[in-house]
Amino acid sequence: MAHIVELSVVPPPLRSDWTPPQSTGKSIAPLVERRLIPAGSAYLAHVKRAVHNLSFEEHDKHAEEERKRLEALYGNGTNGEDDLGVGDEEETEDLLSLDPKEWKKQDHYAVLGLSHLRYRATDEQIKIAHRKKVLKHHPDKKAGVAGETNDDAFFKCIQKAMEVLTNSERRRQFDSVDPHYESLEDEVPTEKEVKSAKDPNSYFFKSFGPVFEREARFSKKQPVPLLGEYNDGKEQVEGFYDFWYNFDSWRSFEYLDKEVNEGSDSRDDKRYTEKKNKSERARRKKEDTARVRQLVDLTLGLDPRIKRIKQEEKEAREAKKKGKTGGANGVSAKQKAEEEKKKAEEEAKKKEEEEKVARAEAKKAKAAAANAAKKARRAARADGADA
Amino acid sequence: MAVSNQQNGSAEAPIDLANPTVVGINFGNSYASISVLNKQGNPDCIANEDGERQIACAVSFHGEEIYIGNQAKHQLVKNAQNTITGFRNLLGKKFSQIDTSKPTTSAPVIEHPEQPDTAAYKVQILQSAPLPLPASTTTTQQNTPLASRVATPRSEPTPATRILSVSEVTTIFIKSLLQSAEDFLGKKVQGAVITVPAWFTSEQKKALEDAATEAGVSVLQLLEEAGAAAVAVLSNPTAPASTTTSLSGDRTQLVVDLGSSALALSLLSIRQGLIHSLATLSDHTLGGDAIDSKLIKFFAKEFTKKTKIPLTVAPAPADSKQDQRAEAKLRLAVEHTKRTVSASSGAATCSVESLKDGIDYTGSINRMRFDMEVRNVYAGVGEQVKTLVSSAGLDLFDVDEIVYVGGSASLPGLDEHLAGIGFREDIVTPFSSGSVVGGGVGDPTTLLSRGAVVQAKLLAGLGESSEEEKEVKAAFHEKLENWTGVKVTSKSIGLVFPETSAEGQEENALGGQWIPLVLRETVLPCRRTVRFGVEVGEEGKVGFELWQVDESIKITLEKPPKFEPEDGEPEEEDEEEEEDIEVKDRIISKDELLGAALLESKKARNKKTTLEVQILIAEDGKVDVSASEVGGEKVTLAVPPIGA
Ligand SMILES: Nc1ncnc2c1ncn2[C@@H]1O[C@H](COP(=O)(O)OP(=O)(O)OP(=O)(O)O)[C@@H](O)[C@H]1O
Ligand SMILES: [Mg+2]
Repeated sequence: MAHIVELSVVPPPLRSDWTPPQSTGKSIAPLVERRLIPAGSAYLAHVKRAVHNLSFEEHDKHAEEERKRLEALYGNGTNGEDDLGVGDEEETEDLLSLDPKEWKKQDHYAVLGLSHLRYRATDEQIKIAHRKKVLKHHPDKKAGVAGETNDDAFFKCIQKAMEVLTNSERRRQFDSVDPHYESLEDEVPTEKEVKSAKDPNSYFFKSFGPVFEREARFSKKQPVPLLGEYNDGKEQVEGFYDFWYNFDSWRSFEYLDKEVNEGSDSRDDKRYTEKKNKSERARRKKEDTARVRQLVDLTLGLDPRIKRIKQEEKEAREAKKKGKTGGANGVSAKQKAEEEKKKAEEEAKKKEEEEKVARAEAKKAKAAAANAAKKARRAARADGADA
Repeated sequence: MAVSNQQNGSAEAPIDLANPTVVGINFGNSYASISVLNKQGNPDCIANEDGERQIACAVSFHGEEIYIGNQAKHQLVKNAQNTITGFRNLLGKKFSQIDTSKPTTSAPVIEHPEQPDTAAYKVQILQSAPLPLPASTTTTQQNTPLASRVATPRSEPTPATRILSVSEVTTIFIKSLLQSAEDFLGKKVQGAVITVPAWFTSEQKKALEDAATEAGVSVLQLLEEAGAAAVAVLSNPTAPASTTTSLSGDRTQLVVDLGSSALALSLLSIRQGLIHSLATLSDHTLGGDAIDSKLIKFFAKEFTKKTKIPLTVAPAPADSKQDQRAEAKLRLAVEHTKRTVSASSGAATCSVESLKDGIDYTGSINRMRFDMEVRNVYAGVGEQVKTLVSSAGLDLFDVDEIVYVGGSASLPGLDEHLAGIGFREDIVTPFSSGSVVGGGVGDPTTLLSRGAVVQAKLLAGLGESSEEEKEVKAAFHEKLENWTGVKVTSKSIGLVFPETSAEGQEENALGGQWIPLVLRETVLPCRRTVRFGVEVGEEGKVGFELWQVDESIKITLEKPPKFEPEDGEPEEEDEEEEEDIEVKDRIISKDELLGAALLESKKARNKKTTLEVQILIAEDGKVDVSASEVGGEKVTLAVPPIGA
């Protein structure tokens, strides 16, 4: 469309004795040559008109078509970039007031908003999360915002986190001592808890399952056999314990090293710290190996499947014996009945288990929905604040 | 992500037009800056990893390290021989064209030992001995020494000499700018617009484009600085509409670029976004360096006063290493002083550790004293502005807007000085509209790179699928004669609505209400459409004449208003000295009648109607005007082409 300029002047009524003067046939004054600076959208329009040899009106039409084409191609300028599930985690006061000088103590995943992914975050997800954080916390974006004292402390924390998580060796070291899991490590169920549970069987699987899932990340060998379920066969159960008794972990403890005091010239001082660090690492590693072993010991001791398998084996042996004495056609009626009863019991139990899983699933879905709603609300609020 | 894997410039994948990954680079001789597009697609000048938005164009070699930017500048005190500055202005010049007689405070320019007549620098570095292992084994990032690397001790680095051509230094520097931008964006940069001074020759432009390409930048355009400034201002949605010209978007704009080593002035005519230059001028005696020299002298004197230690600077005596070093330190320190003066009205300090004889110095200067010390620079700029405007055949009164560019133009004292040299009182400047402070849109230090990225956004959207599209794209590159050469009108054209002059009122020179349609200096072909209310006379008629007019500025001298001294004591001599004040007025007078038209109003309400008038002027000077009540019947009038 032609650009219409609205003017605020209002010419007064026409002079009553005015009649249009005769045309003089004169042209406008001679033109002057100038050189345009090739800049700005007006220059682009000028060139387009000239190249395509268009009149102003034809150009208007063209421009309108082009606009429609682009709108169809790109939507309304919004491009929903896939963030690969990185999402937007809430940033607590505590998080935002982290001191970059204490970067070693910070939770790098939390800083980048990846608490929900942690060691599972892919390099691509880390990159996306970093970009999101930078866009939000770059000191540039804050300068001048009222109340913000040009504070780039958290930005520095972000950069530190990125530095650690994008270097595979440093990330491995940090993952080894990820504070999130450190705190969970103490939450291994005790013997008493299992035994006093209402349904010790299901409690066992519910409480130990996640522990092994967690520990599995340290394994050099992948995939790792997980705890499994009550009805697992002997082979499976044995395979599980076999694996975990020979657990080969990449976990190491360099991250907790004491800083070598670079400032001090004393080589002895340096060497002493280095030696101490080395022995500390070894001590921690030993402790960790022992910890995993204790865990496996505890699990084996409480594993209801062991009892079941033993029982089954015993029964099989007895059956065999009986079969030998009682002829080729074998299984007594009593035994048959017993087996049938057991089968029914197991079926019932299985059904119950399934129901439980379904219930848990439903609960999870509900939580997820609530979460999504919360997110949407937050987004809406953020939008509102932008506007 | 497909886009980020793409090679620069080969972007086939759809570019996000609202937000293409492009940058604008202002590459000055002493400072550079980078702008990107924010989420809303508007330009933002970004800071590099050292938090600097003005990044010093300096590269320094220190042992195994290379410093780039402001850190490198600090090497000028102790490591001047290995610190390279001022390379932008040498780009594209042969060694024999460079004046090497002047003493330098940084690495001297030499002739390249292998490439004849090529300007280069020689620096001392420490070279790390090559690893005993083949390089292919180093797969992890360098900042974490691998266990294996620690185990293989490297031999001590050895001193070596490195020769770098001016182009190579430029490439190193631009690469680091690109890196900063990509770190910020988290994406590969797809293209850049880089600003260049108006006086850059095509050899210089070519050298810059080559160096940038070498650095991995796909150059979308080398844009003249004044153009970048105008684009930045025009693209600003919050800009105040030009208050005085009735056709918004049409203005005469003065761009004042006061950098470090030079003043560059451009007088631009902007007509609905089309920009052309009416006059340009540059003066290499004015700029931040000149301001620095004045300040350094001031503080050196203060230092001597305070400590009784003699100190001569700007220039320091050739035989005094101590004074030379003191001057280098002061030059670095006053940078901060100047920025403080620009940012606030309070006193600004200057501190130097161990300025001379191991004595630390801290001094301060207030705004008034500062402006006094550097008034010669301000006055110099004022004089050049007057020269420029009159060389274009205009009066200061004709300038609608001043735009400031360059670090030294951030000084409010400069704007205050210029306000008093004869511009209109209502002239728009970034200081008058309050857009300088807090990194506002008028901030002279970021304006160029912001304009450049706006331009980059425009260019990123251009296709190349047909011959025509290619030609359109080429119109932004060198050899633009095809499309930049244009013809403009030499006199303004508009409508006069004849009116009965009210009794006792002076006869209006035009005999009615003047409505300008096409201002002088408008590029042809052009089209303008205006809409406005008109009072309808007794017979329900609306009539107008189409006129070409002459414009001039009438200056009358008026006695300044007398201030009677309160206590009646007449102040002597002073009084007769008092100068008359110049009062300027714009005079519009009839030059040529081009036509007239009469219209019967059919839609008037309360004796008022709304008129829409469109004027088209073709390249040959042919004029077509059509007028109608909105939605009503049209009357037309035509003016023959020139020479017909
Ligand atoms: N806020 C400020 N107030 C006053 N002076 C400043 C400010 N910021 C920068 N400067 C000065 O501005 C100068 C740099 O300006 P600019 O970046 O425009 O120069 P340049 O374009 O690199 O140089 P030139 O145009 O002369 O080649 C330096 O002298 C610097 O000290
Ligand atoms: Mg400059």
